[in-house]
Amino acid sequence: MISVRKLSYIYSPKTPFAKQALSEVDMEIEDGDFFGIIGSTGAGKSTLIGHINALTRVQKNSGTVIVDDVDLSVKKIDFKKLRAKVGMVFQYPEHQLFDDTVLKDVMFGPKNLGLNADEQKDRAKKAIELVGLNFDEFAERSPFELSGGQKRRVALAGVIAMQPSVLILDEPTAGLDPVGKRDIMELVLRIKEVCPTVVMISHNMDEIACYCNKIAVMSKGKCVGVFSPRELFGCKELIEKSGVGLPLVTQAAAMLNAAGVDIDPAILTENELVDALVKAAGNA
Amino acid sequence: MRDVTIGQYYPANSIVHRADPRFKLVIMLLYMVMVFFCESFFSFGFLSLFVVITIIISRVPPLKVLKGLRMILIVVLITTVLMTVFYSDADSEPLAEWGIFHIYLSGIYASIKLAWRLLLLVLMPTVLTLTSTPTELCDGLESLMFPLKKMHFPVHELALIMSMALRLIPTLIEETDKIMNAQKARGAQFESRNPFKKIKAMLPVLIPLFVSSFRRADDLADAMDSRCYRGAKGRTRMKQLHCHVGDFIALFAWCAIFVCLLFLKYNWFGWGFIALLGL
Repeated sequence: MISVRKLSYIYSPKTPFAKQALSEVDMEIEDGDFFGIIGSTGAGKSTLIGHINALTRVQKNSGTVIVDDVDLSVKKIDFKKLRAKVGMVFQYPEHQLFDDTVLKDVMFGPKNLGLNADEQKDRAKKAIELVGLNFDEFAERSPFELSGGQKRRVALAGVIAMQPSVLILDEPTAGLDPVGKRDIMELVLRIKEVCPTVVMISHNMDEIACYCNKIAVMSKGKCVGVFSPRELFGCKELIEKSGVGLPLVTQAAAMLNAAGVDIDPAILTENELVDALVKAAGNA
Repeated sequence: MRDVTIGQYYPANSIVHRADPRFKLVIMLLYMVMVFFCESFFSFGFLSLFVVITIIISRVPPLKVLKGLRMILIVVLITTVLMTVFYSDADSEPLAEWGIFHIYLSGIYASIKLAWRLLLLVLMPTVLTLTSTPTELCDGLESLMFPLKKMHFPVHELALIMSMALRLIPTLIEETDKIMNAQKARGAQFESRNPFKKIKAMLPVLIPLFVSSFRRADDLADAMDSRCYRGAKGRTRMKQLHCHVGDFIALFAWCAIFVCLLFLKYNWFGWGFIALLGL
């Protein structure tokens, strides 16, 4: 469980460039959650998730972050243990690839954990297959000669090979085409079977509505609230207040509803929409 | 990595900030020459007075300026100490002797002057970079180098490369930060005492950084191409450099200070006292 209490963060404090990125954020992420974080650019989403992995350290007297009973606001923490537990995939993760073969690159994480060579290779193999790449075909290839989507998979494998129990994703589908987006999201669902807790930042409301069970809305460094997808996308005032868009299906449902079709405007997936339409047609 | 400041611009609204960068650069050059014309304590004090005045009217907190001296302080200390103990003066008796080390009164004076000179040399450039943005300085340099254009020296290209390099420093720092974080998240450790280990630990950062730099350079070239960039010929600027009366006054004032210093040093026609009147 991850609990964030009254967390504040200021970039470049005590200079003319000082900028309050987070102010008194409270949040609780439970084991098994698919936790979405949304909000406009500069709302503090990335700063917030940086704290969970202690890449951004909690500033003095600025609240606490606790990951499974480990307090991250104290000075000395066991980074190795924490980073084995919390995997972090940044935006455009393919930019972190560096080694000459896919296998070596994926083994970088396990190697840093101090595992023995067999275990390293074993974990890398599992991770590469989990992200849907054929191990024998890709293991000895250079990551720089792969396609964009394949690179992103390799980068994901590099994080998964550390076998974390919490996976943090910062816009995992940014810059991909619709098919690539869907592939990556399906991959994330598959990963969720071995890594139960997933935290995802996304600007794509379709993904958020479709996959997350809890959604935190951030705005100007504050957490507006944590909602279920139905609560959030079913409530017009909430949507307007938090300045986020609606998923495409929900937009379609709302428009149909406004045009006089008897369906619930808080619809979140395509299947639901089809069911509701069939039902509405039956009633009419 | 965020703390690395190369263009350490301090935003404020002052006469020094608003001044034409070309004049600031010329005055800087003049000032550098002046520092080497200072010989007596009086002339050092005289010049320092104007440096202090410049700092005050630039509205940059003095502490910020002094911070710029931090890097040079250790060099100044070492040279001062070495100068003091190794100075030899045949005309006078040493104040203290210890093996090969001798301390003379004139040696102490000389080393104080040396330290003072070094500090003065660093102080004004610090003020210059605090009060002008890197872009301003680049534009100023390009404008000042116009005579070289006549000799077919690629002034514009040089300035472009310079301003691009300066512009990309923060971007590269940000990129380094991101990649380091990504590798740290994969358990990489950069805090090692062993220098070889440290270099090896930097590889997973340097390689992606190189790759992304090349990608960025390609993108930038494409972007410039698609906007029909074709070098200096016929190119106008969005931000024209303008000089005002104030800039000429400042330049004139510094020239006057220079003349005063020359009178102090050479005592032309026995008129060294004119510098005192000039005060």
